[in-house]
Amino acid sequence: MQKKLEVKGMVCPFPLIEAQQAIEEINSGDELIVEFDCTQGTESIPRWAAEAGHTVTNFEQIDEAAWSISIQKK
Amino acid sequence: MTYLIITGLLCGALLGFVMQRGRFCLTGGFRDMYIAKDNRMFYALLVAIAVQSVGVFLLIDLGVFEYSAGSLPILSVIIGSFIFGIGIILAGGCATGTWYRAGEGLIGSWIALAGYMLMSTMMRTGVFGPFNQQMQQSTVLPKNSIAETFGINHWFIIIPFVLIVAFIVYKQLTKPKVAIPSLKPKRTGLAHILFEKRWNPFVTATLIGIIAFIAWPLSAATGRVFGLGITTPSANILQYLTTGDEGFLNWGVFLVLGIFAGSFIAAKASKEFRFRMPDVKTGINSFIGGNLMGVGASLAGGCSIGNGLVMTAMMTWQGWVGLVFMILGTWTASYFVFVRPRQKAMAAKLKEQVTPA
Repeated sequence: MQKKLEVKGMVCPFPLIEAQQAIEEINSGDELIVEFDCTQGTESIPRWAAEAGHTVTNFEQIDEAAWSISIQKK
Repeated sequence: MTYLIITGLLCGALLGFVMQRGRFCLTGGFRDMYIAKDNRMFYALLVAIAVQSVGVFLLIDLGVFEYSAGSLPILSVIIGSFIFGIGIILAGGCATGTWYRAGEGLIGSWIALAGYMLMSTMMRTGVFGPFNQQMQQSTVLPKNSIAETFGINHWFIIIPFVLIVAFIVYKQLTKPKVAIPSLKPKRTGLAHILFEKRWNPFVTATLIGIIAFIAWPLSAATGRVFGLGITTPSANILQYLTTGDEGFLNWGVFLVLGIFAGSFIAAKASKEFRFRMPDVKTGINSFIGGNLMGVGASLAGGCSIGNGLVMTAMMTWQGWVGLVFMILGTWTASYFVFVRPRQKAMAAKLKEQVTPA
């Protein structure tokens, strides 16, 4: 199962906070795909995911100042 | 004038570049101490303070320029710093952060910047000037320099401080690390390091400390004996634009314009520039935050750079007391903006589960 979270236009730390809330709502092993355009999120979101023990299955820049990260819940 | 323009712009551009690439965000750093129990960016700030402090006091001891910290309007510093702290959470970035995010194309930061420049001007030569003057003259302590208060040489404060910071950095670097996923590299060599790679916050902080140090002799050569500063120059821009008086153009003005340019160059080259329009709520918060930043920084005599990075390095009460109250301000605002809404949402969800419809 995949869940998509579109947080473009939100400034930090809201993309991270939204991602933290969204991952609570999915089951272990499911994936959360976060699309964001807050530059500082390129640091804070993968760091949170790694430190919380989730697996980052994909992390890429999809456009000028736009990124997508896929996080598999532990 | 040419010297002033060139060195100011260059120093600012370097700073803007390093801050953009290093994701150096003091607002985020102060906020995360509270909401994420993460002190990394605060430690990075201490590194930048230490580097600058050693450099600048060496120059002062060598007689390159003279500096006196003067007296301390303690009440104004405390109140101003606290208001500034609230403002930067609402604006989503401190004064420098707002300048460099404006360079990344964030319209929200342009809005915050407008409020910040307007209020900083109003607090100087505008309607709130007399109020600001009055605040600056109430509850003034005679000595601002910590070393002078205790009647000791400044190195007795700087050296222990540097040792503490070195110890913190050592502890942080030897901590077991989690591998943090990074973007697949698309470039190689220097282009990869400059425009793609994640910068270690301590490397970024060391570079910022060096730039903050270089700013002193560059600025002193133009007659402005101070280091990095954001608030007064931001007001000076508006004062110059509205009065046409060239007296308002100084080294600091070109410094802040340089930050904007440097960040734009860094963002553009890293494919991180795009005009981004905030939603209504973010836009309003940015404007209110920008105004509070202008009031706060004017009362406190400095923003997170002027007080938090420079006056701290000069080992003054203004710097350190200002930094503490600025951080308390960010925590107070963070509670209302981030923590409480989350608690409310969780409580509402819990209630939903207990009483099924």
